[in-house]
Amino acid sequence: MMTLLRGKVAYVLKLIVVLLISVVMLMLTQHAVAQHEYAIAIFLAIAVILIAFTYLTQVSVPLKFFIPGLLLLFAFVLSPILYTVVMSEFNYKTGNILSKQQAIEQIVSRAVEPDANGTSFDIKIGVSNGVPALLASDTINKTYFLATEKSRTDLTPDQVTLDANEVAATAPNFRVLTPSEMQTADTKYSNARFYYGKAGYFVTLEGFDVGIVSHQVLEYLPQQGIFKSLVDDSVYRDNGRGNFALVTDSSNMLNPGWRAPIWFENYTKLFTDAKVRGPLIRVFIWTMVFATGTVLTSFALGLLLAIAMNKPMRGRRFYRSILILPYAMPSVMSILIWAGMFDTEFGAINNILGTHIAWFQNPSFARFAVIFVNLWLAFPYFYLISSGALQAIPTELNEAAAIDGANPRQIFRKITLPLLLQILSPLLIASFAFNFNNFNLIYLLTGGGPRNVLSGEIAGGTDILISYTYKIAFGSNTQDLGLASAISVVIFVIVAGISLYGLRKSKVLETFK
Amino acid sequence: MKKWLRENSWRHAIGIFICLFSIFPLYLVVISSFNPSGSLQLTSFIPKVLSWNNYHTLFKSPAIPYLTWMKNSLYIAGSVALISVMIGSAAAFAFSRLNFTGKKLGIQLLLLVQMFPAILAISAVYVIMERVHNFAPDIGLGTQPGLLLVYLGGAMGVNIWLLKGFVDSIPMELDEAAKIDGASAVQTFWLIFVPLAAPVLAVVTLMSFIGTFNEYILARLFLVNMNTRTVAVGLQQFIGGQYSQNWGPFAAGSIIASVPIVIIFLSLQKYIVSGLTAGSVKG
Repeated sequence: MMTLLRGKVAYVLKLIVVLLISVVMLMLTQHAVAQHEYAIAIFLAIAVILIAFTYLTQVSVPLKFFIPGLLLLFAFVLSPILYTVVMSEFNYKTGNILSKQQAIEQIVSRAVEPDANGTSFDIKIGVSNGVPALLASDTINKTYFLATEKSRTDLTPDQVTLDANEVAATAPNFRVLTPSEMQTADTKYSNARFYYGKAGYFVTLEGFDVGIVSHQVLEYLPQQGIFKSLVDDSVYRDNGRGNFALVTDSSNMLNPGWRAPIWFENYTKLFTDAKVRGPLIRVFIWTMVFATGTVLTSFALGLLLAIAMNKPMRGRRFYRSILILPYAMPSVMSILIWAGMFDTEFGAINNILGTHIAWFQNPSFARFAVIFVNLWLAFPYFYLISSGALQAIPTELNEAAAIDGANPRQIFRKITLPLLLQILSPLLIASFAFNFNNFNLIYLLTGGGPRNVLSGEIAGGTDILISYTYKIAFGSNTQDLGLASAISVVIFVIVAGISLYGLRKSKVLETFK
Repeated sequence: MKKWLRENSWRHAIGIFICLFSIFPLYLVVISSFNPSGSLQLTSFIPKVLSWNNYHTLFKSPAIPYLTWMKNSLYIAGSVALISVMIGSAAAFAFSRLNFTGKKLGIQLLLLVQMFPAILAISAVYVIMERVHNFAPDIGLGTQPGLLLVYLGGAMGVNIWLLKGFVDSIPMELDEAAKIDGASAVQTFWLIFVPLAAPVLAVVTLMSFIGTFNEYILARLFLVNMNTRTVAVGLQQFIGGQYSQNWGPFAAGSIIASVPIVIIFLSLQKYIVSGLTAGSVKG
């Protein structure tokens, strides 16, 4: 052990490890630069320098202990937090995901239309002299040609062999793609423009069997930064919100757009846009009700239990080991199990009650189920902390009160409970903050539902802020990362406020001790 | 006797009642895992026939790569636990024993960052890792190493308080003796602190293991491919609303996945409970 840490052997070992890590990270840096991910590349480069500097010199001993943790913290905790704030300032949603450059390229490549006659050919796609090519056949006029992106070679009928559909299948200097090549060749061919021979026109693929003669309808003018129609000279201008819009009709926009800064619009939308504000307020109220309700019910049950068990009695250890089981179970599993138990047709709950309640289809029942299941999950925690706190209350207090003639109920209400609350309030607040963001429970139990599908509403009856945010960010129809980030920032402000309050409370606790 | 009844009977009544409440869902899962029909519907709460059908399906059916999921979970949770305990204990040691400028500020900042619930930044993590995927497909979105890295982001903060408390409790004299013998800080860490702290480190490792094993949403977002999933994601996707059909194998799978965790948890009860009152929160 000693030799591994000291002397030449140690130094050589260290050198090898540092070198290996640096090489890997430098390779990543290079890849990042190649993909224009400069922020990531800069981070990686700085990380390599820091690692080499820290472990190969003796300048800073503390850094030797912190560097791995710090770098990971920065990369995967701090930068996502900062990036959330940045994203919240952007129009960053489905249709506005790309960078501006990518969006322009996409618009250009999409802005093609078939020629006036709708000329099309049956084609085979393949390779000619190493470049993508297509073999086009006009089966009616029996004309054939071979086209690459650069050139077109007309072929006579005797140069080609026809397949069963009278489509040319072979030609000189041409090889049809094999089925396995087809699978990987998709983007290379579908975006390609094959040479047609008529100025302004080219052949594009419509599937793998048909080629259509097309022409460009929009042109990008980089100097002015506008798109101009080649058909009717209409102009599309950058609308400052991530889209090119028709100058004469701003609602006519080109797709796709790009992510563009819109500053505080995502935030103001939360308060001014009725479509966002309405659900948000409902979700916020339920989040508060849920977090408060679940802490109160679980604390009440845990406390009751702690009081009942706060006396040496037979079987206490046995009870305790059973009672702790819900807390020991992996909660993901327990929540899924409960979801099954609340099943309408075959679930155990309806089975026992002899009812046929569709628990997750009715908002009130679903909310009850959510709080009930969380009661099961959380009461052991409150039992454990309450019984710890009960033991911390000096018995002299109770005895003194008893001597003064207080009955047990008075002792509990006037002495035990206030003291308990004072000791436990930081933990209760922390628990409130935790449940405020109890994503797993909601997502796995009800999925946030029930929701009104017909009205296109994405917020469901049991959605809390965080699950609602998740739906906005990763929903199936539209994904609005900008708005979701803005809500995340708001939630953070709320939760940080609550937690700071809790921390100050816990300082009170220290002085109390 | 009468006095005993009055004083204790209500305690036992509450104890028994809540025990039943605790155990009921678990009992139900156990018996339905042995239910030969494998459906959610139970004809009675006392099983008449026991069968291993569901367990058989779980391990044999090609639709459920359960063993792969378990292996993935063990690999991910195990690696995260080991690496994060190393990172955490190094930081705890430095905060406790080394003097450097910005130490107090560092602790406070760490506390502040800790308060940010990781789930809030999830869309940012997603976008960042999607970009990483563009230039390094092996560690970006959709890969286990990528998920591992994201988990490790929180490694320094999570257990630092518990560990720092422990380092603080080790007498300074030991360090000083080591220093006189010519040991550097790094050597003191490896040769004095790590051996002394081994039991605590083991506890922290296991707790971190449980935490990661139980993580759902990041794993769900990252592990799209059937064979890379963790057991939590795999089982959730498998049951995915189809409770009536897939219940039996699901019950069996959740039991196998839970038993080790419950055993670890119960054996660490003492430490976890003292950790609770120190302020860490679960539930």
